[in-house]
Amino acid sequence: MTNERERRQSNDIILAVEDVTLSFGGVRAITGVSFDIRKGEIRAIIGPNGAGKTSMLNVINGFYFPEEGRITFRGQTRQRMRPHVAASQGIARTFQNVALFKGMTTLDNIMVGRTLKMHKGLFWQIWRHGPALAEEVEHRKVAEEIIDFLEIQHIRKTPVGRLPYGLQKRVELGRALAMEPDLLLLDEPMAGMNLEEKEDMSRFIVDVNNQYGTTIALIEHDIGVVMDLSDRIVVLEYGRKIADGKPEVVKSDQRVIDAYLGVAH
Amino acid sequence: MREETAKGKCVTAAVAAGFDTFPRLLARNAATLGDRPAMRHKDYGIWQTWTWKEVNENARALAIELHGLGLKRGDTIAIIGANRPRLYWTMMAAQMLGAVSVPVYADAVADEMAYVLAHAEIGIAVVQDQEQVDKLLGESERLPLIRHILYDEPRGLKDYDHSRLHPLDAFIARGISRLADRAQRALLDAEIAAGKGSETSVMLYTSGTTGRSKGVMLTAERCIAAATDSVALDKLTDRDEVLAYLPMAWVGDHYMNYAQGLVSGFCMSCPESAETVQSDLREIGPSFYFAPPRVFESLLTRVMIRMEDASALKRAMFHYFIGIARKYGEKLLNGEPVPLGGRLLYAIGNLLVYGPLKNVLGFSRIRVGYTAGEAIGPELFSFYRSLGINLKQLYGQTEAFLYITVQVDGDVRADTVGPLAPHVEVRFSETGEVLFKSPGMFTGYFKDEERTHEVLAADGFIKTGDAGFIDPVSGHLKIIDRAKDVGRLTGGALFPPKYIENKLKFFPNIKEAVAFGDGRDYATCFINIDLSAVGNWAERNGISYGSYQELAGHPRVYEIIAGHVAEVNRSLAQEPRMGGAQIRRFLILHKELDADDGELTRTQKVRRGFVAGRYAVLIDALYSGATEQDVTTEVTFEDGRKGTISARVRIAEAKTFPWRDEPARQDEAA
Repeated sequence: MTNERERRQSNDIILAVEDVTLSFGGVRAITGVSFDIRKGEIRAIIGPNGAGKTSMLNVINGFYFPEEGRITFRGQTRQRMRPHVAASQGIARTFQNVALFKGMTTLDNIMVGRTLKMHKGLFWQIWRHGPALAEEVEHRKVAEEIIDFLEIQHIRKTPVGRLPYGLQKRVELGRALAMEPDLLLLDEPMAGMNLEEKEDMSRFIVDVNNQYGTTIALIEHDIGVVMDLSDRIVVLEYGRKIADGKPEVVKSDQRVIDAYLGVAH
Repeated sequence: MREETAKGKCVTAAVAAGFDTFPRLLARNAATLGDRPAMRHKDYGIWQTWTWKEVNENARALAIELHGLGLKRGDTIAIIGANRPRLYWTMMAAQMLGAVSVPVYADAVADEMAYVLAHAEIGIAVVQDQEQVDKLLGESERLPLIRHILYDEPRGLKDYDHSRLHPLDAFIARGISRLADRAQRALLDAEIAAGKGSETSVMLYTSGTTGRSKGVMLTAERCIAAATDSVALDKLTDRDEVLAYLPMAWVGDHYMNYAQGLVSGFCMSCPESAETVQSDLREIGPSFYFAPPRVFESLLTRVMIRMEDASALKRAMFHYFIGIARKYGEKLLNGEPVPLGGRLLYAIGNLLVYGPLKNVLGFSRIRVGYTAGEAIGPELFSFYRSLGINLKQLYGQTEAFLYITVQVDGDVRADTVGPLAPHVEVRFSETGEVLFKSPGMFTGYFKDEERTHEVLAADGFIKTGDAGFIDPVSGHLKIIDRAKDVGRLTGGALFPPKYIENKLKFFPNIKEAVAFGDGRDYATCFINIDLSAVGNWAERNGISYGSYQELAGHPRVYEIIAGHVAEVNRSLAQEPRMGGAQIRRFLILHKELDADDGELTRTQKVRRGFVAGRYAVLIDALYSGATEQDVTTEVTFEDGRKGTISARVRIAEAKTFPWRDEPARQDEAA
């Protein structure tokens, strides 16, 4: 199975981060970090608390602007980027703290993910007729495929605020998938989950990658999960990259071990 | 609904001649009911429908492809998964080729599944999804015979080695194009024509309570004969609807949905997933429905809890009209006379309460509903009946191809399982065990002569393992207990512990009961009170208590329980052969039986032997004539710490009643 996956991954680089530096006031969050993400892979970004992982994701999807360095996404190099532009170019993400519309149903939340793909004007949408209706049916179809894929049929019409945390995380993944992204950024998809929920979520992540060929970059604290899931891992510490490579290489890297276990100074 | 039924084509009459295999029934339905819906499945949020014609085409396509994979007459083929149209089609396809389908419980762990598949000599397995594929591949060393695995849902299987794996949809598509060829059609038609009703058509593995599960072999003609009888009994037609949510491997699904569906031509709907059954039920509104008692129980609990949260006005209205329903509902259902005022009130209640409630539960259109499998509380049973739901009981077994007894409309009781089903014969052994002969009865256990002989009596009757008797008043069968659990008192009277305990447990104040008496002079029992019910009563009557133990020992609680025990004794005295088992002495246990202490299983069943050993001093006291007994018990707290509780338990005498078949020599009357 692994062989198959390796074969499908090309060496095409979908996203390259070069010498990115980001600071908030006087605090350096990221210092001169470079790495790349290949098309079709699952790429993990790990590191101790405050290492700059979430900042890195925010830089990638255009929420923060790096002071230095460049980001190349699908061959286009940019320095400044807005989140909605990133979204329309095919970058979707989920958040460390679930950021769903709590009063809306699972289905509606997923349909929100289709917003950028809706093209019919307000006039048609108000009347919900003709082309707008046809378009909605198309989008609903995609939403239903996602619901089927994530096995959340039973909560289709349930307001997400009433759902347990693990399911909310799954709905959030569904909403990101609704954008049919080329690159999916997952910020701690398994935080606060029990073992069974983690296993489910891992399976969904692998299945998304497998079925849709979506490239995935994820931040995760559970090292066991990261080692199992990812093809390559970047390790950050205090805003700097300290290791980069396949799980087995990273696992035996002395600096990584030190960063995680701590060393006597 | 009744009008619609009358309009529906009653195809059952045509069954008698010629249609002795399922493929022939399918062909008949495709011809006579062609464009009527045969199956539905909710997929991507929409109910997809297939007509009888389409089901026939799909099944034929699958059959020709399975033929291509080498499936031959007499081979076995496993079907593993939730209720899905494609899996049912596979069953039909296999039967077209004369192969035997073996549905397997999808939630079985890999080891259990491997046992069944190996025992059934499965060469081809048709499964729902990746989960099942993984189980089979994981056990492939034990399953060398499996040549091919077909799957319904492709998710996650993209990167698997596909030399032995095939997606079902591609399979069907290929089959359809292959059947465009006249020669292929002729080949398949010849296979169907060669099929004989006397051939085994399905093998259902029963979960043996002791030892490994057994493969019950059932022939097509017997299955069809049995289903024809019950279809006629309940007047099922192609206008009926069912929701197929029971495991495909269970006889209930194969009988009620598959066999009855093919015989009557009704439409079978498959739920979207196991979690959506409740809302799917509401959307489909089945006219024929089966559920075990615990489903009805949990539904009622949910309704009651939600009513507690309703506003005072709504709550008052609900309780008032439920009271009306209790008074008149069952009588109306049974066609008994009801005063005009009662009819009027019931009609209003139906408009305001029963109708909406049934709609929410998905029970609006139920014409025939069944429950079976365990004893159902009379309160619970009549609650649903009083709403106008025609709920009935049946008693059956896999070996009988289900029905042994079944209640008929208008003659329904909570405490019996009904009169004999059509064409069924029953006799009783000396020990009270029920033996039967039925139209659908099995031909034997697969590769298990020995156990086949164990259940088959010399005269061709089959032993059920259950003890029971025919109730002289109603003429219905009553099941009292597993035959091996029925003991005897020293005087020779029968002692059925579970039967007595169930009678006691139907009182809301009694949570658990453990009866003793096998090999003793008389019957006695331990009682656990239900803390919420009795606690509620105590609150209303101004009785204060500090703990379970204190409440359990309260003299007025003893009075209440003594009343319940007397009530049970009275009903035992009225039943043949049961009068001797009346409870003479009882006690209320000082602690609740608990799974943490090993007294209950994790599924909350009493571990009789363990309890008897643990409380031996109390049992001795029950038989020694003592009026109270000190006892010290070790308990395990939830955090794992151990402690002891001591108590002085009072032992009470129970009121007993004279009974009909009381031995003359026994002079002590109640």
